[in-house]
Amino acid sequence: MTLFQGTGVTVRYGAVKALTDVDITLEPGVVHGVIGPNGAGKSTFIDALSGRTRMTSGTVLLEGEDITNRPVGWRRHHGVSRSFQRTSVFNSMTVRTQLEMVAWRNDEPDLDGLMATLGLEPVLDQVCNEIAYGTQRSVDLAMALIGSPRVVLLDEPCAGLVADESVRMLQHVRDLCKDRGVAALLVEHDVDGVFRTCDRITVLNLGTVLASGEPAEIRANPDVVRAYLGSAA
Amino acid sequence: MNAPTKTTGPTAPTSDTPVVSPGARRLGLSRGLALRGVVIAAVVLAAGMAVPYIVLDRFYISMLFDGLVLALLALSVGFLARHLGLISLGHTAFYGGAAYLVGISVTQWGWSPLMAALTGLVGGTVLALVMALLVVRSSGMGFLMLTLALGQALYQLSIQRVAIPYTGAFDGLQISFDADATFLGLSVAQMMNGALFWPVVWTALVLSALGLWLVGRSRFGTVLEGIRENEERMRFSGFNTYWPRVLAFTISGAVASVGGVLFALNAAYVSPDVLSFLKAGDALIAAIVGGLGVLLGPILGALLYIVAQSQFNQSGNLYLYTGLALILVLMFLPGGILGSISSIRKRLARRSAKENSP
Repeated sequence: MTLFQGTGVTVRYGAVKALTDVDITLEPGVVHGVIGPNGAGKSTFIDALSGRTRMTSGTVLLEGEDITNRPVGWRRHHGVSRSFQRTSVFNSMTVRTQLEMVAWRNDEPDLDGLMATLGLEPVLDQVCNEIAYGTQRSVDLAMALIGSPRVVLLDEPCAGLVADESVRMLQHVRDLCKDRGVAALLVEHDVDGVFRTCDRITVLNLGTVLASGEPAEIRANPDVVRAYLGSAA
Repeated sequence: MNAPTKTTGPTAPTSDTPVVSPGARRLGLSRGLALRGVVIAAVVLAAGMAVPYIVLDRFYISMLFDGLVLALLALSVGFLARHLGLISLGHTAFYGGAAYLVGISVTQWGWSPLMAALTGLVGGTVLALVMALLVVRSSGMGFLMLTLALGQALYQLSIQRVAIPYTGAFDGLQISFDADATFLGLSVAQMMNGALFWPVVWTALVLSALGLWLVGRSRFGTVLEGIRENEERMRFSGFNTYWPRVLAFTISGAVASVGGVLFALNAAYVSPDVLSFLKAGDALIAAIVGGLGVLLGPILGALLYIVAQSQFNQSGNLYLYTGLALILVLMFLPGGILGSISSIRKRLARRSAKENSP
């Protein structure tokens, strides 16, 4: 059975169609990338799947169970977690306090290991708004990974990071996904990063699926090249 | 690379102690910390009992007594501000509501002072719970207006014609206890004497402060902090963010109710003033002057406020001077008195830490 599935995901804001009939399936240990030009509906897609935005129509299934109308807290407890494009941390708390707080709620057996993997040990006792932006992004990611969720929806984890930070972040995502057998959805602006990191890729354009498949197929797809990749590919 | 651990405050570990101890979970209240808090509270409680023996003047002791009652109200407002980041102008509803309940249950139903006190406390708390269910989802200005509306609604209710038999409207409600009634061993006359009633109010204040401190330091307090900081992330981290806020609001309302009950027992008279906008303002100003960000700030603020009011009042320009004093505090001590002291201390500690490390 498919672990996590979104079918016919449609989001309309009044007359504006942000997403039309988008399908996706996520499998354990597979990093699934979503790319597309600005305004393609990438962030709306992750908001719809995670329950942050109400879908106009469509369903979200977790192991075949319809969770479309479940509140976000319920989803988190049942293994669907997400990170945010705009860093969403607890600014006035220390890194340690906020991670322990989330770990306490989500039964994380190896918080120290997770913090070590993401290189957060040196900043544990610092208040979050006093640490570097790139480190804050790691805290954001750590919070999404606490409690070993089965499905992780990552909304541009590299937004605002410099090139080598970006590379490291995507490496973390891939390693953690493989080690923990997580099904990951990775929405990302950095096209090269996505091709390097993901096992499958879906390309969105104007709120619809332009193409979906292995990185090599996507790179060779004439529609994708014309609409999006251009000469860069 | 072996970077030294950056010390961020006086309590941060020295660079010799390992930062990460495997398996250690420091979240919430450790037994040692709780015990220390309880011991300190017990010492303060005992020390405060001496005040009526030191301040012998009846005028001054009753002034300090009023300060303690206002402190309970300011404490409850400060708790909400600190843990939920919400400013309430409606806590007079729980304070005044509880006071009226005491009066009504004595005069209408002929209950004993103790029963009346419990009724006031429970009634005020239940009112806070009902209110909480409705308002905690709102934030900032919306919350301010909703709580103000509740306070004003109750005020208007108390002066309605139909309420006159119960509240006496603007004439107020004289609470005539039975001549032989007692409250915790105190006779009615003793209850109305600030010096003799002092131990009861002092105990209530210290226990309330201790209770709120324990709540703030517990895991529940951390969850409240998380909700205040980033409610959405809390929900996406699997936390319910509604019920903790309801509970915090209710706890705060309960503390305000304690203040109202003790006020009514001591004054034996309740007027619509206890529900008025001015009363809410008194508590808020006191809390801000003392420091909203520090547990004890509102208590200090309330005592100062009462003393200052009696001084300002002698000139007949009470609110002029109150306003000036408030402006001065907000300009020069933006975190309130205690808040500013603690931030200066932190800054000094950081500077000395920087100087010590090469």
